[in-house]
Amino acid sequence: MTIHRVIRKVQRFQGWFGGGAALCLGAGLYLGLIGSPPDYYQGEVVRIMYIHVPLAHTSLLGYTVLALGSLWYLWKRDPIVDNMCQAVAALSAVFTALALGTGMIWGKPTWDTWWTWDARLTSFTVLLLILIGYIMLRTFVDDHEKEARYGAILAIIGFVDLPIIHFSVEWWRTLHQPQSISMRGVSISSGLLAPLLCMSIGMSLLFSYMVMVRTQLLYLDRLLHAKKGRLLSQFHLSKSDS
Amino acid sequence: MTNLSIRWGGLLVVTIVLVVLTYNHYQDNITSLVPQQVRKEAPTGEIRVLGMVQGRTLKTREAGEATFTLLGKSATLPVHYQGPPPDNLRELKILILIGTWNASTQVFEARDIGIVPNYGFIAGAYLLGLLPLALFLFAMTRRVNFLYEEIKASKLYEEK
Amino acid sequence: MTSFNVIRWIVWKDFVTELRSRETISSMVFFALIVILIFSFSFSMDQQAAREVIAGIMWVAFAFTGIIGLGKSFSTELQNDCLEALQMVPEAKGAIYLGKVAANFAFMFVVEILLFPMFVILFNLEVVEEISLLLLIFFLATVGLSAIGTLFSALTVQIRAREVMLPILLLPLVVPVMIAAVEATKGALNGDPLAMYEQWLKLLAVYDVVFTVVSFWMFEFVMDS
Repeated sequence: MTIHRVIRKVQRFQGWFGGGAALCLGAGLYLGLIGSPPDYYQGEVVRIMYIHVPLAHTSLLGYTVLALGSLWYLWKRDPIVDNMCQAVAALSAVFTALALGTGMIWGKPTWDTWWTWDARLTSFTVLLLILIGYIMLRTFVDDHEKEARYGAILAIIGFVDLPIIHFSVEWWRTLHQPQSISMRGVSISSGLLAPLLCMSIGMSLLFSYMVMVRTQLLYLDRLLHAKKGRLLSQFHLSKSDS
Repeated sequence: MTNLSIRWGGLLVVTIVLVVLTYNHYQDNITSLVPQQVRKEAPTGEIRVLGMVQGRTLKTREAGEATFTLLGKSATLPVHYQGPPPDNLRELKILILIGTWNASTQVFEARDIGIVPNYGFIAGAYLLGLLPLALFLFAMTRRVNFLYEEIKASKLYEEK
Repeated sequence: MTSFNVIRWIVWKDFVTELRSRETISSMVFFALIVILIFSFSFSMDQQAAREVIAGIMWVAFAFTGIIGLGKSFSTELQNDCLEALQMVPEAKGAIYLGKVAANFAFMFVVEILLFPMFVILFNLEVVEEISLLLLIFFLATVGLSAIGTLFSALTVQIRAREVMLPILLLPLVVPVMIAAVEATKGALNGDPLAMYEQWLKLLAVYDVVFTVVSFWMFEFVMDS
C-alpha cells in the first residue's frame, strides 16, 4: 500500500505547486509584458524570450526527470514511478513542441525566417522526435510491465545520446554557416533577468503540478481498468459456476 | 465539481484582467497615423507616424541632426530630427516616428524614432505558449475528477 | 559454456543461417542498389554536384540497408521460439548482445564493402589514396550503428508494428553517427587534410564506446522476462 501513501502525499502538496505556479507565472507575465523595458537591439520582440526560454528549460528539466525516473524504475520496478515517467514524457513532449513553436515565432521578426538549422533548434527537434518515439513505443506494447521497461530503456539511451547530438549538431553548424544567426547575441541584462527568473520558476512549478495531475490520472485510469476487469471476471466466473 | 469550476473561473477572471491591463498599456503604442492622414488632418500635439524612409533622401549631420522624407502610400512627409541619429535610422526602413507636425513649415519635427513593434508576434507567442498548457491542464483535471466520481460511484473500493 | 563461447556460437549460428538462406545480405544489397538508383534519378547530377552530395547519399543508403539487416537480426529468432531459448542462456545476457552486434556489424560491413565499388563506378570517384581512411570511417560508423541498432532490434521485436518502430526509434538516436560519417566521408572524398575532419572520427569513436557500454548494460533489461 505504499503506492497509496505516495499518492496521498502528492495530493497534499499538489495545491501548493499549482498556486505557486499561478503566482509566479502571473508575476512573470506582469514583469515581462508591462514591467520591463524593451531591448535596445531587438525592441519589443525580446518579450517572446520570457515565454520561450522557460518552456525550453522546463522541457530539458522534464527530460532529466524522465531519465532519472527510468533508472529508478529499472532498479526498483515501482509502478508509480513508471506512471510518473509516462506523465513526464507526455508533458515534456508538449513543452518541447511549444518551445519550438515560440522559437519559430521569435525567429520570424528577429532573423526574418521561421526556421533555421540552428544548433539548438535542431537538437530540440531531435529531442521532440525521441519523446514522440517514446510515447509511440509505449502505445505499441501490450504488456504493462514490458511497456514500462522498454520505455525506460529508450529514455536512458536518449538521455545519454542528447549531449552527443547537441555537440555533433553544433560542430556541423559551425562548419556550414559560420556565426551567421545565433542566439548567443542575446546578452541577459539585469532588467531582463527578473521576469525571466519569475517565468522559469513558474514554468517549472506548473510542469511539476501538471505531472502530478497526470500521474494521478494515469494511476486512477489503471486502477479503474484493473478493478473493472476483476469485477468482470468475477461476474463471468459466477455465471459459469451456476 | 463546483470546486473545479470556482478555481478555473478565478483563473479565467485573472487572465482577462491581465489581458485588459496589457492591452490598455500598449494601446497608445499600437495606433499610429500614416503620412496622408497627417497631410489631410494636420493634427496638433504629439502624434505617431508610420512610414518608410525614402531612398536617397536621408542626410545626417555630425552635429546630431537628420533630415529625410517619410514615404506613405500616397503621400510623403519631410522630416527633421534633432539629436544623434539612432542605429535604426536607415534608408528603406519602415519606422515609427514620434513628434509634432509643424503646419506652417510643412515639416514633421521628430522627437523619437523607433522600429515597428511586432505585437502580433508577441501576442502569438504568448498565446501559443500558454493556451495549450491551460487547455491541457483543464482537460486533465476534469478527467481526474471524472475518474474519482466513477470510482466512487461504482463502489470499486468495497472489497468482498 | 563461457561468455566468450556464447559470443562465438551466436556469430557462428548467424553466419551459417545466412550462408544457407542468403536472405539478409542479398536483400540489403539489392535495396541499397535501388536507393542509389532512385537518388541518381531524383537529383540528376553531374560530376560536380555528385561530389557534394555523394557522401550523404552513401550514408542514407547504408543506414537504410543497415536497418533492414538489424530488423531481421532478431525477427528471425521469433521462429520456433528461439528468442525464449536465447533468454534461457545461463551466461550473462551481455554475451548474446555482443554476439549479435558482431554478426550485425559483419553483415553491414560486408554490404558496405560490396556497395562502395558501385558508388566509385557510378559516380566516377577517385579514391585510391584515401581508401584506408574510408575503411576506418566505415568501420567506426558501422560499429556505432550496429551497437545501438542491435539493442533496438531486440527491443522492437516483441512489439506491434516493429518494422515501423525500429527506424522511428533508431534514426533520431543515430543523428550524431550520420552527421559525423557524412562529414568525414565528404572530407576524405574531397582529399582534404586529415586535420580538417579528424574531430568527426573522434566523435564516432566516443559514440561507439559510449553506446556499446550503455547498450550492453541495457540489453540485460531487454532480455529480462
